[in-house]
Amino acid sequence: MSNPQPRRDFQTEAPPEPTQETLRQHERFAATESHQPLATQAELKALPEETLGAPRKRRWGLMFALAGGATLGTVELATGIPDALSQSQWMAMAWQLFGISLIGLGGVSLLKELGRLRRLKRHDQLRANLAELPQRSSKQAQAMAVQLKQQLALSNDDPHWLAFQRACQPHHSGEEIQTLLRYHLLAPRDREAQRLITRMSGETAIMVAVSPLTLVDMALVAWRSLAMVDRLSRLYGLELGYASRLRLFRHVLHNMAFAGASELATDASMDMLSLDLAGRLSARAGQGLATGLLSARLGLRAQRLCRPVVFTPEEQPKLADLRQDLWRQIKRLDKEPAPAARNSD
Amino acid sequence: MRQPLSRELSNMLERSRDRQLRLAVTGLSQAGKTAFLTSLVNQLRHAGVEAQLDLLPVAREGRLLGAQRLNQPDLGVPRFPYDPGMASLRDTPPRWPEPTRGISELRLQLRYRPAQQGWFTPDIAHLTLDLFDYPGEWLLDLPLLQHDFYSWSQSQAQHEGPHRRALFSEWLAESEQLDPTTEADEAQLATLADAYALGLRRAKQAGFSDLQPGRFLLPGELDGAPVLQFFPLPGLDTPKETLDALPESSLYATLAARFRYYQQQVVRPFYRDHFRRFDRQIVLVDVLGALNAGPERFEDLSRALQQLMKSFDYGKRSLLTRLFAPKIDRLAIAATKADHVTPDQHTHVVQLLEALLAEPLKDLRFADIPVKALSLAAIRATEAREVLHDGKRTPALKGTTLEGEDVLVYPGDVPSRLPKADFWQQQGFDFPSFRPLPADSEALPHIRMDAAIDWLIGDKLT
Repeated sequence: MSNPQPRRDFQTEAPPEPTQETLRQHERFAATESHQPLATQAELKALPEETLGAPRKRRWGLMFALAGGATLGTVELATGIPDALSQSQWMAMAWQLFGISLIGLGGVSLLKELGRLRRLKRHDQLRANLAELPQRSSKQAQAMAVQLKQQLALSNDDPHWLAFQRACQPHHSGEEIQTLLRYHLLAPRDREAQRLITRMSGETAIMVAVSPLTLVDMALVAWRSLAMVDRLSRLYGLELGYASRLRLFRHVLHNMAFAGASELATDASMDMLSLDLAGRLSARAGQGLATGLLSARLGLRAQRLCRPVVFTPEEQPKLADLRQDLWRQIKRLDKEPAPAARNSD
Repeated sequence: MRQPLSRELSNMLERSRDRQLRLAVTGLSQAGKTAFLTSLVNQLRHAGVEAQLDLLPVAREGRLLGAQRLNQPDLGVPRFPYDPGMASLRDTPPRWPEPTRGISELRLQLRYRPAQQGWFTPDIAHLTLDLFDYPGEWLLDLPLLQHDFYSWSQSQAQHEGPHRRALFSEWLAESEQLDPTTEADEAQLATLADAYALGLRRAKQAGFSDLQPGRFLLPGELDGAPVLQFFPLPGLDTPKETLDALPESSLYATLAARFRYYQQQVVRPFYRDHFRRFDRQIVLVDVLGALNAGPERFEDLSRALQQLMKSFDYGKRSLLTRLFAPKIDRLAIAATKADHVTPDQHTHVVQLLEALLAEPLKDLRFADIPVKALSLAAIRATEAREVLHDGKRTPALKGTTLEGEDVLVYPGDVPSRLPKADFWQQQGFDFPSFRPLPADSEALPHIRMDAAIDWLIGDKLT
């Protein structure tokens, strides 16, 4: 243990202005001078730039094929242009220009896609960093709060951000800042996400309940689920491209299939009961509720994966909270045609 | 002190609904009990308006409607001097509240909106919080209850370091000559007891904590009574049985009788009326003061706290224990005066506190009682700043010392465990004391009072 620093007195006037930066002179130390291993300056860096993760898997073959095809195609088409120009073959030239612009557009969208994938990765990184906020110093925690603010696209005068800044005190530790972040920045988004999941899964349930065709049902459910995941991720500041959406969706399904199995077991009895009740109402309502529950579960999973700070066990939203809302929507569906039926009698 | 039946019944009803909590604010003298209580009342009073209680969920979510002082149940005990305390903090220049000289009580009623509305939850719920303040010196008497005169004399003799011996030199010089078997001489006993009391007072001045009996330091209404004329007998090597067989007029028997009287008539009522029934506890420790005072006194503080915490009942609560034998089911240990060091040192302060209370913490862990260690400043007296000194940014504190001098100071690092002996000889610690900040809002500035409140009563405010 290094010895604690002694007390030091400073002048009481306002803290001195930062002086002009000077370059440090060449300085030679005697070999007898006491020295110690150089410590990494963890304090100065807000975040470690790179973490030790699994090495990135690059698909070199695919990249080679794509890059080669695009380059060769461009060259081929571009070299054809002078010939076509000299022979006044306007149609051929038009086709060549069209081909080049197609390759260009493809390249641009590919780059965009890569950028979005990168953003998804950065999001994962931010998540990992925010998770270890309790171990970090107050300064690093503040820097990370700013990152989160950018991720959530909050402006400087957003009321939630202002409230967070008002709540922050210089003596707060990383853990306390994490608590404040959860409450001031994430809780409003959580509520919105909750509303979104309830609404969308409710609508899915109703759609399935009223739709006459099974095949259409399936397509509807798939499409709406994708849309829900997309909106959820946008709510937490994640813009998804095609590949990143696919990756997230795969992640969600993987999570549901493996991690969610135990949770499924605890919820199963309640689910069975409500399905049984709904089934008594009508077979279609039962089907609708089943689909709605599945969709809600998917939404909750996606929310859990997108949220920049991992849920604590207490604040984690549960399916039970949503089940009642779903059930209410289904029942409403059952009640609404009733007056119409009576009228037709 | 028996309470009227109706009051007891209504208390019982409240307790059975778990709407009443008794909070034990435990701390030796100078640990900051009065400041803590004043700040607690102030924060809860101003919760939801000016008070900054962001780490207390019920206040953060705007559900806490505030607190009101109720008429205390026990009319025989003075009311906690909240208003005089606030007045001295609001004075120009601001002063710390006066140290406590006697027992005082306070009952607070908190009103809040429950987080979840159900069929049986009311729109607005309340919680009654019973607090009381007492001189820290008296607290040290509680461990006396486990002793008889013989074992007490021996326990007092055990921990006599060189410094302590020097402070008690006059008393030691005479009392070591005493023969326990001789006839008691009243005059001699009185002078020796005075010498002992003088030694205790000097030891207190020098920063020692483990000082028994506590009433010698702050006699209250007992000043000059023969019950305060006893002292431990150092160097008792005769077996207990022979000593017990001595006639009543012998020196040993006289001292033992006075000790017993003190134990039964002074300490036990204090314990019975005020210390038996607690639900939550916060132990306040002035770690920085102990560091300032030096290693011998640091050990002394650790021992005093260790003995002290044996006097409380810890355990899980249920409806029955809540009604008839309340137990402390959750406690916080807090290093007070955290504003006297820079914020980056707070983790070290907490680690040092945990090292100081290592033994009691093990017992609590064994009893499965949740404990939280935190550093707090009930009334923040400094501002955290950053100074550019010799081209390096370093944190510093801005405040006014007790002498009235404005300073900008880096008070020094806090070690995360007790440094070795040679360190104390070279350097030692010199944490300055500050006077409170001048008032700029109704609520007092603080460090982590909200976290402490949340830990102590937050689970009842959902």
